Amino acid sequence: MATISITVSHDPIDSGARLDALAGADPDCGGLASFVGQVREEPGLVALELEHYPAVTEKALQTIAETAARKWDLHRAVIHHRVGRMEIGEVIVFVAATAPHRRAALDAVGYMIDLLKTEAPFWKQVHSNKGSHWVEARDTDRDAADYWTDQIASEDA
Amino acid sequence: MQITIRYMASLRDRMGKREDILDLPDTIADSEALTAHLQTLDPAANALAHPAIRLILNDAIVPRPSAVKDGDTLAFCPPFTGG
Repeated sequence: MATISITVSHDPIDSGARLDALAGADPDCGGLASFVGQVREEPGLVALELEHYPAVTEKALQTIAETAARKWDLHRAVIHHRVGRMEIGEVIVFVAATAPHRRAALDAVGYMIDLLKTEAPFWKQVHSNKGSHWVEARDTDRDAADYWTDQIASEDA
Repeated sequence: MQITIRYMASLRDRMGKREDILDLPDTIADSEALTAHLQTLDPAANALAHPAIRLILNDAIVPRPSAVKDGDTLAFCPPFTGG
């Protein structure tokens, strides 16, 4: 049974400390993979603000992590997502997985970050020096989630 | 029947409010009938009918259409943009 860790919080995410805490935590795992999403510098951007739908978000992330753990036989699946206002360079999301071998850990992390972008109720708002606007969903994010969903469906068939 | 309707993120801006608590005729059986009813009340609600809009019904993400009943809370959600 994999260990699942999910948090959604206003607190800053120290990705280095998070990764250090996972290194060696599962001695029977040769692979520890992670992804860190951070606020990207863009012309005029002052900050990003993330809002979510409490309780539903955590449940969606839990489902994504459990699905990844089951599919790739993970020993650990971790998703920490920040909400509220964030400035350039600050960490928005930290995703990690441990598995006996690297491929499973890497694929599981790819799956979790791609799925959470389209299946967990978060919304991003850009605050720039010209005002504020909501970020629109991108087709490439939808395509990335569909890639994994199709892959899982074809393997289950 | 009474239904609480929430408008999330950009839909909150579009509708100019966070939520409505509406007394609705019992003939409104699902999310699509409810959306059509909201469109008769406010043209801004046309945005709710877009197929990309997701639904959260009583703390669960549900497909469109989904049945609604007295006491439900239904949230209209723009496509998610986390991560």
